[in-house]
Amino acid sequence: MATLLLGLTTNSYGQQPAQASFDQANEELETGNYRQAISQYKNLEAQNTISGALYLNLGISYQRIDSLGKAKYYLMKAAQFEETTDKAEQALEFVESQFSRQSAVLPKLPWDVAVGWLQDRIGAENLLAAGIILLNLGILVFIGHWFLSWHPYLLRIAGYIVIGLSIFIILTSAYTRYVSQRYSTAVMVTQKVGVTEQPQQDASLVSQAFEGYTFTVDHRRSNRQPGWAYVRMSNGLYGWIPSSEILIL
Amino acid sequence: MSATVSETTIYSGERLRLSIEVSGNFNNVSRPQLPSEFEGVRLLSNNPSIGRSYSYVNGQSSTSYTYSYQLVAQTKGKHTIPPTTVTIDGEEYSTDPIDIEIIDRNESARSGDSNTPDIFLRLDVSDEKPVTGQQIITDVVLFFRDGLEVNSYQPVPGWKAEGFWKEELQNSRRPQATSTVIDGVRYRKARLLQFALFPTKAGELEISPYKIIVSVRSARSGNDPLSSFFGGMGRNQRQVELSSDPLTVEAQPLPEATDSNYLGAVGDFSISREISTTSATVGESIEITTRFSGTGNVPLISKPEYQLPDGLEVYEPQENSSINRANQQISGNKAFTDVIIARSPGDYTIPAKTVSHFDPDRSRYVTQTLPALDFSVNENPNAVAANNTPSSMPISPVMGLASWVSPAPTDFWSNWWFWAGILLPLALLGLAYWKKSFAEKMNTDKAFARSQQAADKAAGRLDEAIALSEQGDIKKAYNMLQKALTGFISDRLTLPEAGLSNQQYVAALEDHEVDENLVKNVRMLLDKCASISYAPNTSHAYLKSHVGLAQSTLDKLKKVL
Repeated sequence: MATLLLGLTTNSYGQQPAQASFDQANEELETGNYRQAISQYKNLEAQNTISGALYLNLGISYQRIDSLGKAKYYLMKAAQFEETTDKAEQALEFVESQFSRQSAVLPKLPWDVAVGWLQDRIGAENLLAAGIILLNLGILVFIGHWFLSWHPYLLRIAGYIVIGLSIFIILTSAYTRYVSQRYSTAVMVTQKVGVTEQPQQDASLVSQAFEGYTFTVDHRRSNRQPGWAYVRMSNGLYGWIPSSEILIL
Repeated sequence: MSATVSETTIYSGERLRLSIEVSGNFNNVSRPQLPSEFEGVRLLSNNPSIGRSYSYVNGQSSTSYTYSYQLVAQTKGKHTIPPTTVTIDGEEYSTDPIDIEIIDRNESARSGDSNTPDIFLRLDVSDEKPVTGQQIITDVVLFFRDGLEVNSYQPVPGWKAEGFWKEELQNSRRPQATSTVIDGVRYRKARLLQFALFPTKAGELEISPYKIIVSVRSARSGNDPLSSFFGGMGRNQRQVELSSDPLTVEAQPLPEATDSNYLGAVGDFSISREISTTSATVGESIEITTRFSGTGNVPLISKPEYQLPDGLEVYEPQENSSINRANQQISGNKAFTDVIIARSPGDYTIPAKTVSHFDPDRSRYVTQTLPALDFSVNENPNAVAANNTPSSMPISPVMGLASWVSPAPTDFWSNWWFWAGILLPLALLGLAYWKKSFAEKMNTDKAFARSQQAADKAAGRLDEAIALSEQGDIKKAYNMLQKALTGFISDRLTLPEAGLSNQQYVAALEDHEVDENLVKNVRMLLDKCASISYAPNTSHAYLKSHVGLAQSTLDKLKKVL
């Protein structure tokens, strides 16, 4: 998850008060005041000061008050931080087993898997940086064949290959970023709601969704209908769901 | 309590009967206090005829008194019989006022139409321009002439009122015939049925014709209004199918609601919310009941959504409604019950909620705030101590130091390194290409190469001329100065490198329309160089001044050649 953290900067100024608030919230959690602990953790989140530990503890707090949908949501966030990935994944496995309704999961297409892997493991920005470095290198090699007498033909071919590769990487980075901005993962945090064909309460029902269900939200389509989200369910069905029923990662 | 008259449209001089009926379960009832003065009619006697009935149904007793007064129509025009007051068990009740019309018999006879039907059916609505969802009362009224008796009627099934939700109202009484005059013809009219209609959409909505089959016969005689309805058997009996005219209602849209608290209720409602307990244990169910009661579209009311705190398990809400079709309107109650269960102890608050309904009488939304509900949830002492749900979580929270970050929004286009990384190699490529093209041209195009190198060559020759002068070889120095000038001109103008006279160089400059003063300087310098052999005492300083002039001249020539 180091790739995710590339875009994050350490907040050294806000660290001390954040840690102090975190410690207070932890005390509430230890003494069983889960609601108070959640409130304090969420204050930290609202101040844009976050950490894997914060999300992990939020997830555990929600699990303690039996709000499993929110517990899953925060544990998934905690899993995106290198220092809490392992713990969060264990906790997620446990929380998943607690849901009364488990849904079938349709395997993703290979291309989607590849894009997801690039997004999660490398990151669009790192890809872009690599592409730009290669582009510079390729252009330098190509220029070299004009002025150097050492195998100008080889330099020219090498220049073409490196430039072509760099353009492919830059385009892949742009596509990965487009996908990451258009689609997000969301978790259902309420008990039960209908997924409908149209963004209306009385529209035909596609399926019932239950707490803990995971969706892929299409932001571009959702933005046209305030209060609604266009989602792909894990079984491959598409439909509309009220935005208030889900939390988007 | 109700007041009725035997006829609402009568000829002047005729009698009509005012009946005041008091029914229910009571102990004491006073005689009606009639208004001191009637408008357009005269009271024949203050002493009413009194009818009394007693019923006992399903363990409920009910008494009914009917006080009947005789009135005589006097002044033609539209009049109102004022409310009458009755004291029942110490409390005063009033009847509604009744509108009547007294018409002149002679005028009516003149305008009478002999083609009017003997019997017809009509639909009367209480409001022809209701708003969507408003309750309107529709009466099915039968009109028939004197001399006809209606024995029975049977509605034809299949009446439609598209665009409406309709409910038949409870008609406990047998239809009562009253007298009326329409276009100079005396009719008896009786309300057979009554419906409540609720427009479900805005626009022009048509109520289709209502059909009934009536059994009629010619009456034997009499002015008794009751004898003409459900009279006995007789001759000339026949069955007639009657159909009312269709009726159009212009349903108005509801005004735009200013907030999202409108729940679809149109009418006069009171709304309340209550919680079943304020102290519960973990796992115990708690009910939040929201009640709507009043008059209007009760079944169409939707459930208000509440913002529930975290940690509550919400179950499928229950919905109960009861409709009362009596009293010539739809009224009733609707209750929504949210069932919640707290999974952890603590104090919970369900925030206050604002709800609104539309009141057609006031033509506006009525907003009401349901107060917040507080309740506390305690640990269940009977629960098994080893509740394994939390403890079986395989991991424990992080209690020590955490690594904090503040996420910054990332955007390709706002990164300086993105633009530098893209633009720098492109600029470098352009520069390199230019350099490469220049070098190639210098190698292949001799004229271009001479032109490019002319200035450097001339500068070198001038330096050499000064050096020769310093060595004392003035003549050679001037010769070098001449070479610098002629070499520069020939390189720039692509002239032969040797064999041209000074005049030819000057002529070439003139052909290129070089400034006259500049040409003059070149000519003067070339002439000086040619004639220096004949100048005996030429000094180094003298040559340096010519070299300076030559430099400035060459600088100017660089700009024009």
